[in-house]
Amino acid sequence: MKHYAVVHGPNLNLLGKREVGIYGGRTMESINADVEAEAKRLGVSVEFFQSNGEGELVTFVQQCRGRVDGILLNAGAYTHYSVALRDGIGAAAVPTVEVHISNVYKREAFRHVSMIAPVCIGQICGFGAYSYILGLRALIEERLDPWLA
Amino acid sequence: MKTKTFLVISGPNMNLLGTRKTSIYGEGSLEDIHRGLRARAEELGVDVECRQYNSEGAIIDSLQSAPGKFDGVIINAGALAHYSYALRSAIGAMLLPCVEVFISNVHAREEFRHTSVIAPVCVGVIGGFGKKSYLLALDALANLGAA
Repeated sequence: MKHYAVVHGPNLNLLGKREVGIYGGRTMESINADVEAEAKRLGVSVEFFQSNGEGELVTFVQQCRGRVDGILLNAGAYTHYSVALRDGIGAAAVPTVEVHISNVYKREAFRHVSMIAPVCIGQICGFGAYSYILGLRALIEERLDPWLA
Repeated sequence: MKTKTFLVISGPNMNLLGTRKTSIYGEGSLEDIHRGLRARAEELGVDVECRQYNSEGAIIDSLQSAPGKFDGVIINAGALAHYSYALRSAIGAMLLPCVEVFISNVHAREEFRHTSVIAPVCVGVIGGFGKKSYLLALDALANLGAA
């Protein structure tokens, strides 16, 4: 069974409690429950990790190398400036999908830049908690290639 | 309840998919994408109408006439994404949810592709997953308002 890591960066532990106008009322735990249900439906397993620390995220991503089949990463604000996280993703050599709850392009200019996007497969943003569901589907390729069947 | 219908628009040069720069854009044709979308729409219980235009003005005409006929739009504006303020205005004016898609990961390519002038007027952006980007966008539109 394929196994994926779902990684939440800084302040995402406060989802549902902070700036709900931007991030919605869903908590991280309830989003994880949705992802878990979708994983079950798709026949894969998932694990979850959240840290506010850049170094902890880098270490976690490094340790995904050879251990998981893909990473679903919401790096929060680190997205926009963490070269260390970018290098960690590159070094892990694990397919990674960047997700955001909000449409970062509607927000401040500093959020329009993603340091990690060039080392990810792709990016999904703006769909609230559903960005994670779409991200998981994006990682699991087979299901989404009906035209190749 | 009326079945939701979504408009899918592909911009300039997408008619050449499968024949140009296949290392970036992949092997399948635009018709393959449209076939995949129709199959996915059936699974989701929605309808899709797929169109392609090389002309910026034709895309704008199509967007302007979308309200009342469609419940949302998926747009792969191709190169226009990076500079067409007219397209941005048309998306903003139609007041329908619009999802921007890219086949390639634009952030891994030339600097001028890192900016999308239409992203701020879209609900969200999905890019980098090949032709799957379109299917994910359809999932996203069909799910809007559900969660």
